[in-house]
Amino acid sequence: MARDVVAAKCRNCGKLSYPTHFYCPSCRGTKFEPVPIQGEGTLLTWTRVYALALDYTDRYITLGIVELDMGIRATGRLEIAEPQTGARVRATVGKVRETGGKDITGLVFTSV
Amino acid sequence: MRDVAIIGVGSTQFGRAQWSLLKMMCEASHDAITDAGIGERKLDAVYVANLGAPRNNRMAGLASALVDRLNLFPAAAETIENGPASGASAIKHGLHSVASGLCDLVLVCGGERMQEVNNFEATEFVSFLSHRYAEYVYGVTLPALAGMFTRLYMERYGLRPEHLAMVAIKNHANGALNKKAHLRIPVTMEGILTGPDALNNNPWIAEPLRFFDCCPVSDGASAVLLAPAARAKEFQRTPVLIAGLGQATDTHAVHERPDPTELTAVRLAAEKAFAMAKLGPQDIHVAELHDAFTILEIAESEEAGFFEKGKGHQALERGETRIGGRLPINPSGGLKARGHPVGNTGVSQIVELVLQLRGEAGDYQVPNQPQHGFAVNFGGFGNNVIATVLKRGV
Amino acid sequence: MSPPLYDWDTGESLTSEEERMIDELEAMLRPPALPMAPYPPKSILLASGEVMVVRQASVDEVDAMLRYIQPLVWLDRDYYDIVAARLFAELLGWKAHRVRDEYCLVGVIDGVLAGIVNGRMFDAKHGISFHTLTLKRGLRVGSHLFASKMEHHVEYLGQDEVWIVAESPIGHRRWMIEYPLDKKFEIQHELGGAPSWVLTRDTYFKAKSRLVTGTRPVSAELLARSYPLREPDLRTMLVQIENTLEARL
Repeated sequence: MARDVVAAKCRNCGKLSYPTHFYCPSCRGTKFEPVPIQGEGTLLTWTRVYALALDYTDRYITLGIVELDMGIRATGRLEIAEPQTGARVRATVGKVRETGGKDITGLVFTSV
Repeated sequence: MRDVAIIGVGSTQFGRAQWSLLKMMCEASHDAITDAGIGERKLDAVYVANLGAPRNNRMAGLASALVDRLNLFPAAAETIENGPASGASAIKHGLHSVASGLCDLVLVCGGERMQEVNNFEATEFVSFLSHRYAEYVYGVTLPALAGMFTRLYMERYGLRPEHLAMVAIKNHANGALNKKAHLRIPVTMEGILTGPDALNNNPWIAEPLRFFDCCPVSDGASAVLLAPAARAKEFQRTPVLIAGLGQATDTHAVHERPDPTELTAVRLAAEKAFAMAKLGPQDIHVAELHDAFTILEIAESEEAGFFEKGKGHQALERGETRIGGRLPINPSGGLKARGHPVGNTGVSQIVELVLQLRGEAGDYQVPNQPQHGFAVNFGGFGNNVIATVLKRGV
Repeated sequence: MSPPLYDWDTGESLTSEEERMIDELEAMLRPPALPMAPYPPKSILLASGEVMVVRQASVDEVDAMLRYIQPLVWLDRDYYDIVAARLFAELLGWKAHRVRDEYCLVGVIDGVLAGIVNGRMFDAKHGISFHTLTLKRGLRVGSHLFASKMEHHVEYLGQDEVWIVAESPIGHRRWMIEYPLDKKFEIQHELGGAPSWVLTRDTYFKAKSRLVTGTRPVSAELLARSYPLREPDLRTMLVQIENTLEARL
């Protein structure tokens, strides 16, 4: 069952952070509400990783850092055969890893 | 605050250890203790640097075990864990306890025995340093972070694969001169990048980083003995002063850094270390930087202030960072060839600088009697960095 | 007419009838040979700038190889002992005509033996990979020789499949992921009865540009320098773990 990946929106000043911190980086507030990470963004950088841990049987996986239009950056899997920095991508949620028999869902970016 | 000197150093061979973790650390500690010639004097404290013992070697309370093996009880002891910067952190704690006057003779010993787990497990273990839900769950490994960092560097500063290869070639050549280095086979540009079989010899690890851009997984131990500078003359070796030490942290998730090509923690740590030492980058004669990936030697050399940002690869191209160059970097072979017993590296960098400043580095000695040395120990992917400035004599 | 066979047990010469019986026994024990195309030698420029010649070894070179690898039979690290012991037996068996359709490829650097790979043809279309023994570490010699072995099975012996198993689970995992290999667990591999993995012709060609490398032909001069096989310096490899509990734990 896919769940959203969320960023934290400060209830006091509205600043978005991802990953979350205990204090809001802007106003030091401690109350947040979850905001799903979604929509489009720009690919900042990417890599194909070959030397993987034991729970992977892929020869490589593609990862990237995306600057999302909603105002935060995120690291995620890329389901893009030939990534280009600067390309537009879209955030989706999918299975990104399997650890201890459990599926972990996370951000998967596709080309727009 | 008293001045603190390094009065003894020791190190084992790096590579695939034949001894257990504890025995390696005993050997390195014994070498440092003998090097200093402490005789009947007692050690006040022992700081141990290690990352993996509980998980990889089934040992907890490593510092207490080392004290026992070396018959150093009742000396105070702790293990310091700061990822790959554990070594420099342990030295920092040793420095603070002597500088404060609370301790006089302090042993700092680092050690790591990675071979007890296979390469897949080692990769997994090191990837624990990344941010759990924002990076780790995606299969992010340290090479993956370094790969993304390298791509940005190449696009922004015109760094090319040849430059990365030059770091590997230089450090392997240096490692070949260092009897204790893990990797002692020199590599060539044809062999790793431009020749007909290069791309097979040097496969991708995390594009655009290749096999020879990444340091090996090594076992090894090193140790230094610290004393108040005022007492250095009681001992037999030329003392080396810890003139400056600075530490800085940065965001955990690499993507959260405002400019992901900047290693801010390196810059801040270096600035603090230089300020404490009352020296600047132009005063440094030899440096040991944390080249877990070839890109990091270049990037750190810029953040430390040796070269302008984005121009480090040009200095490398001109040969400035070779042993005979203007600013030799990693004359011992660096992490790339000397090896990277993860928790120990920070200590071994200091050991190497002490040998250089004493003029005892043998075949890989930097010429012209270097007086000031500099080290960067890089934790995580740059989220916890310690820089150290050493000065020959007290 | 050939001279009569001499029976070493009795000290007597055998009659032609006894000769014929021994020849028949020998023929039974000695398997028939499939035609095996030769492996054309190639050279690989290694990371160190050294050149490795990858060529077929002949049965005359077995004695030298056995002498060189024998010390590794006692190296209790990285599966060297069992791989060396089994390779020793396979090479000896090949020389004594007791293994059917075996080949052996060697990697030679400056005339010094750097690595050995071997295998055999199960039948015309199916091959079995036996072992890969690296004698010079740090230059991916084992990777290159394993790939050369696969190249031999598919491209020169003309086979459709190679059955593979490995003593080292970690080593095996690398090839399993890298090529990748498929499971063929219904085939029991000759080595220790473990189920086989398989490299198919199809997968081989898809992976070839990534994994198989080298330049042909090898100049006569370079090839000549790879004979005879000179002894490798195994001293750094043979450093043994101190065997006291105190040292090991």
